[in-house]
Amino acid sequence: MPLRRLFAITSILFLAILAISPLKNALRPYRGFQREYAKLGASRAKSMQAANGYLQKPVAIHQIWLPEFGNRVDRCTTCHLGVQDASMTGAAEPFRLHPVTYHTPKDFGQFGCTSCHGGQGLATLEQDAHGDMPDAGSPLTPLKYIEAGCGRCHASEMVTGAATLSRGREIMEKSGCYACHTVKGYQAYRSEAPPIETMALKTGAEALRRWLKDPKTVDPNATMPRFHLSGQEIDELSHYVFSLAPTRELAARIEAAAQQPVGDVAKGKALFAESRCVSCHTVEGKGNGSAPELSKVASRASAGWLLAFISDPHAFNPRTRMPRFNFSDTDSRNIVAYMESEFKDFDAPKEMLDPLRVNQTLAEKGKVLFRQKGCFACHAPGGGVDRFGPELNRIGDKKTASLDFGKRGELPRTLAAWLEAKVQKPGSFQDGLKMPTFGFSPKDTQAVVTALLSLGAEPVPPTFRPLAKARPSMIPGGAVGVLMDKYRCLSCHQVGDQGGDTSKAPLTAEGSKVKHDWLVDYLVLSYTLRPILTDRMVVLKMTKDEAAQIAQAFDTFYLDPSIPEDPFKGQPAAANDPIEGKRVYDTLGCRACHILGAGGGYYGPPLSEAGKRLKPGWVFKWLKGPQAWRADVRCPNYGLNDTDALRLTSYLDTLVKSPTPSKGKPGGAR
Amino acid sequence: MKTPVQIVGTTLVLLSAGACSRHKPAAPATPAPAVTEAAAPAPDTPPVEVALPYELRLGKGVYQHYCQICHGETGAGDGFNAFNIDPHPRDLSDPAFQKAKSDGDLKDAIRRGGAGVGLSPIMPPWGRTLTAEQIDQVAAYLRTFKPAKP
Repeated sequence: MPLRRLFAITSILFLAILAISPLKNALRPYRGFQREYAKLGASRAKSMQAANGYLQKPVAIHQIWLPEFGNRVDRCTTCHLGVQDASMTGAAEPFRLHPVTYHTPKDFGQFGCTSCHGGQGLATLEQDAHGDMPDAGSPLTPLKYIEAGCGRCHASEMVTGAATLSRGREIMEKSGCYACHTVKGYQAYRSEAPPIETMALKTGAEALRRWLKDPKTVDPNATMPRFHLSGQEIDELSHYVFSLAPTRELAARIEAAAQQPVGDVAKGKALFAESRCVSCHTVEGKGNGSAPELSKVASRASAGWLLAFISDPHAFNPRTRMPRFNFSDTDSRNIVAYMESEFKDFDAPKEMLDPLRVNQTLAEKGKVLFRQKGCFACHAPGGGVDRFGPELNRIGDKKTASLDFGKRGELPRTLAAWLEAKVQKPGSFQDGLKMPTFGFSPKDTQAVVTALLSLGAEPVPPTFRPLAKARPSMIPGGAVGVLMDKYRCLSCHQVGDQGGDTSKAPLTAEGSKVKHDWLVDYLVLSYTLRPILTDRMVVLKMTKDEAAQIAQAFDTFYLDPSIPEDPFKGQPAAANDPIEGKRVYDTLGCRACHILGAGGGYYGPPLSEAGKRLKPGWVFKWLKGPQAWRADVRCPNYGLNDTDALRLTSYLDTLVKSPTPSKGKPGGAR
Repeated sequence: MKTPVQIVGTTLVLLSAGACSRHKPAAPATPAPAVTEAAAPAPDTPPVEVALPYELRLGKGVYQHYCQICHGETGAGDGFNAFNIDPHPRDLSDPAFQKAKSDGDLKDAIRRGGAGVGLSPIMPPWGRTLTAEQIDQVAAYLRTFKPAKP
């Protein structure tokens, strides 16, 4: 009898255990979701047939299998059933339709979900898939940083449509992250920070002390971060800086400049405005802000240094982005006189610029500190490149368990939270960490974290990476190359895939765009083309000869073969009719944005001299589709046919107003 | 011979017990604390401006890039370029205008421009510059404009 009972009980237990597995499957939450989705779909369906379609769908696991994409399997659509279903617009999660983005809906089958969003594609439980649990593999990227997903494939600096990511990458480059941290693609990075050898002749002990304490309070545009130095450390570093001697030649230049007679303040003021210094600098916060704030600069740099620097910035800092303006000696003296009279910190003590009596013991200590704090990474990167910061290449997929939260125990245990805190307050994790504080705003922090999260561990298969445009450098060598370096064209203009983006006018096809004579005149004395811009072309005061050389080189090298030299060739004569072209101009409403004659909008460039400036071939191509020039061009594509476009081109080509530029004021006041 | 009945009976009991115990509580458990958390600080903190949904943010981006210069930040037709052109741009925040125009009308005017819908050609046609999605997004964003309070 006991044996029989034992047998009965074990059988029951055995059966029960057998039942667990199918039970577990039957009770998976996704089944509930799929039934709910069927009901929701049926209620939203427009026809009986469609409704039945929803109701008759079998409950099953859905997956997107991408054998070419690292054998990725994404089962996200098992619960997120409506991502491709247009009737699910605005439905509650997890059924909502995926918003339209660059890759959705067209590329669902190609990229799956986790390639952009992160998370565990194979999992079918919310917790496992989204990885919200501590120490899960790679959790879902928080929506705030979603553009990090774009950056996994798009490795270039600027990614169209991913503004936050692009901004983050830009900030990282500008702030000098790559000077200390190794990141693939930036091995050759060099900071623009000036060499410190001439500092003793540039600034004074008190000014340097203030700068070292917190550069951003001295100059809000400063890219140098705050190092949280103690008073003692600041002392030591100052003594080290003042113990350095510049080369005899630079010292002589500053000396000679200091002896020069004082210039004319009023003329300097006019020249300062004309030259459009604020296209890069700011004065009391007004201006572009990619170069130092100038309103108090005369209280931290001596007059001699300012004059010598303006005359030849590249001798003092070969890596600076500032062009070497072709100012005459008098011009430079006038500008410096103006800066000396206006750009002073009137609250600062008189001894701001007094030099320091060097104490050798402190200077020796400062020299050690200069190495210890890592100052050399930006200020003296010449010798062996020693990137002492941790490598950032795989940071975006770092496991939470391997992160050191140090004193920040209160942080959520996620990579994103850790990075955010690290970028904002690196010193708060532990005492004595080298990384300085950059003082990023919350928005910039978000951008930088996005850029960091885009540095993934797994390399994306080559077929999924956008083609890197391997083009030969388009910077000419020889005399023109030297000239373009002197005037640092690439600080603002893009040529090919190099150069800055301050100017929205790339020079890559400049030779096909503008007429030679106009370009020469413009380079000698640039005037305001687009009054709406703050960052206008600086007035470099090139000599006629230099301008002609550059224009000649642009005419020869910077051409776009798709732009016809003569658009009227082989076209009927009727197409070359400026009067008809004027009619087209009026019907289209071009005057909404362009000034022509008396009236017109203030948005596009004035067209009063379009015929003097623009080559007809370029105008024709532009009119056929402005966005082909640059994707974010605002001039709408009117879809003109060839005849109308040609007529308009011929009309614009007749617009040569006066021999002197109508907006004759060079630069113009802000 | 009541063993089979016993067996079946117990299995069913076990099955139903299993059905009740697993996973069920998981779903309501997560939202519950979130609700209490959200409810608690609401009375003290002033109403924060609600972040726009994703689609509207896209629409806002399009608006800022292409439209704002004439129609103004709040849609009142007071952009930087508005006063250089005649006729002045439409006040998009006007409730009467919002009411009079259907979404289709708005999209049609954006797509074909002023000339396309029998108005001034100063409003350009955007149909070849913006994608259909972008026009949908910007039209949805236009609906968020409210007249400024006097």
